[in-house]
Amino acid sequence: MRSLTGKVLLLGLLLGPVPLVGSAQTPDAGGSLDPWQASGYVKILQSAIFLEPVSPRLPFETQLYDNLLHQRLNLDWYASEHLSLQLGWRNRLFWGDQVRLFGASFIELQEEGDELLDLSWGHASPSGVAVHSAIDRLYATWTRGLWEVRLGRQRINWGISTIWNPNDLFNTFSFVDFDYEERPGSDALRIQRYLGFAARLELAVRPAGRLDEAVIAGLYAFNRAEYDVQILAGRMRTDWVLGAGWAGALGEAGFKGEWTAFYDPEADRIDLAATVALDYMWPGAFYLNAGFLYTSTGTTDGALDLFGYRPSAKTLYPFTYSLLLTSSYAFTPLLNGSLTLIYSPGPSHTTFLNPTLTLSIADNWDLALVGQLEALRRDGTGTLPVKAAFLRLKFSY
Amino acid sequence: MKNVRFWVVLWMAAWGLTSPAGAQELSATEIVRRADEKMRGSESSIGEVKMTIVRPTWTRDMQLKTWVKGTEYALILVTAPARERGTAFLKRGNEIWNWQPSIDRVVKLPPSMMSQSWMGSDFTNDDLVKESSMVEDFEHRLLGREEVGGRLCYQIELTPRPDAAVVWGKILTWIDRQDFVQMKAEFYDEDGWLVNTMVTTRAGEMGGKVIPIVMEVIPADKPGHKTVMEQLSIEFDKPIPDDFFSIQNMKRLRL
Repeated sequence: MRSLTGKVLLLGLLLGPVPLVGSAQTPDAGGSLDPWQASGYVKILQSAIFLEPVSPRLPFETQLYDNLLHQRLNLDWYASEHLSLQLGWRNRLFWGDQVRLFGASFIELQEEGDELLDLSWGHASPSGVAVHSAIDRLYATWTRGLWEVRLGRQRINWGISTIWNPNDLFNTFSFVDFDYEERPGSDALRIQRYLGFAARLELAVRPAGRLDEAVIAGLYAFNRAEYDVQILAGRMRTDWVLGAGWAGALGEAGFKGEWTAFYDPEADRIDLAATVALDYMWPGAFYLNAGFLYTSTGTTDGALDLFGYRPSAKTLYPFTYSLLLTSSYAFTPLLNGSLTLIYSPGPSHTTFLNPTLTLSIADNWDLALVGQLEALRRDGTGTLPVKAAFLRLKFSY
Repeated sequence: MKNVRFWVVLWMAAWGLTSPAGAQELSATEIVRRADEKMRGSESSIGEVKMTIVRPTWTRDMQLKTWVKGTEYALILVTAPARERGTAFLKRGNEIWNWQPSIDRVVKLPPSMMSQSWMGSDFTNDDLVKESSMVEDFEHRLLGREEVGGRLCYQIELTPRPDAAVVWGKILTWIDRQDFVQMKAEFYDEDGWLVNTMVTTRAGEMGGKVIPIVMEVIPADKPGHKTVMEQLSIEFDKPIPDDFFSIQNMKRLRL
């Protein structure tokens, strides 16, 4: 979601060598390319979170102040024309109230998913300081002509729509974790065969210790009448899945959508996650995206903890129906503002609000001010059970 | 979203050239047509561009590698600043894709994004995307000859044809007599006020042709504001197959 709210352009490493499709030679801009590439950032994030007394763990109104020093290194090695290796490594030092509150279990909260290989390490001290180090990318890519095979911890992103991605079977992430743009990786094998400028066949396997934790799926993508279309099928944990997505335009507006159906044979239950959205950019750099999400596993009632749950492709959001509006505006080339609003109709009228301001303070220095608010109606009155504010300074290299 | 800036740059990058013509006496329309051909580019080009936004209190740089074929195909790779390094764009006809390597994600951009100007720079949409209309949408009148940047130029006035959808009241342009490089252009609104000035501050040979190497766009009503485009390198007419402009290659471009 954050990638949309004003920050389309993210720092990153490049994948794969430049050889062209088929037999064509490399029209490179000239000069020899360094086989090693390093990039990354250092961020300092300060947060203030105000919680209503909703959870048994926090029986009183709580204020939590925390700090995070976060360093990331991306390292690419282009070993040959056909083979490259990539590493993504994040190191974080936390200190503050949350570390004290959660104690030793704070480290468990930082662990992402249950991958085959354990590539993370952490320690929390009772004094309120914790360290966590994780490798979230570690993969080899072999490319030859129209073939690409990638093995290791990687992000397999099958999302085609801008905000919600029911087709993104391989990754889960928390949408409130705006500070983790890269998102976790999966230990997987991914084989792609390109068939045209926007067409490909893909098979991806995320093995696991148990079959009901594994994901295996195939995807076919093509472009027709200026629409990107994809169809996918496979098995995600306990479910058989079938899905499709598209990205095209209605007039000048972008028109995108995705749906995935999940069949759990044990429970003999079919679930559906589906989304559709329009986006448009007005003169003066005002961008608006309006979308709708249907989640059959969601609820229409209840006041849920939007900050605590971990979404999956099946349950991207805890409510059955959700409407999303996100807008961004460049006040100046240096100052960008965005606001995201997710409203779920129902007795609680739960609404998630996410205003963001980003300021480029120098060529590689950025400052961000982010708010996250959950608003809902409980016992006839409106309330804000969670209010959070974040201030982040980032240096990219 | 800031992506629009790249479309500006793309069109700038596409302002490569065609072959210089002989400098016989030409009609004003013919001069504009030749300059226009030069601006719109040759069959293909591969280059590197640096763009600097200058404001009274700050400047920001951006560098790009570009692969362009005609007006249909383009690939753009951001090489600086660090925050955006590795981001790439693919254009095929009316479709545009954006690649964000850090999250392994391809985003298809709405068509409305391409047709906007980049608000951060001093380039406008009409300057750039509709460049080809310089010939068809205007009447041309040769006003005289004047030296600009050490080059003797034709000074030509462009006034929009009554039926043309043009935002300008008139354009004055100075086109180099020898190489048909547009050395300067002044854009006036319908009330006759100067809006923007575009100046070629350095023209020279690159990639075997004489081209504008450094260009500046200066808004008339904003002192201290300008946008500078510098062509760092360029190669012309190196064959690029159409299928180079693919999502697969957008993901594979290297810094």
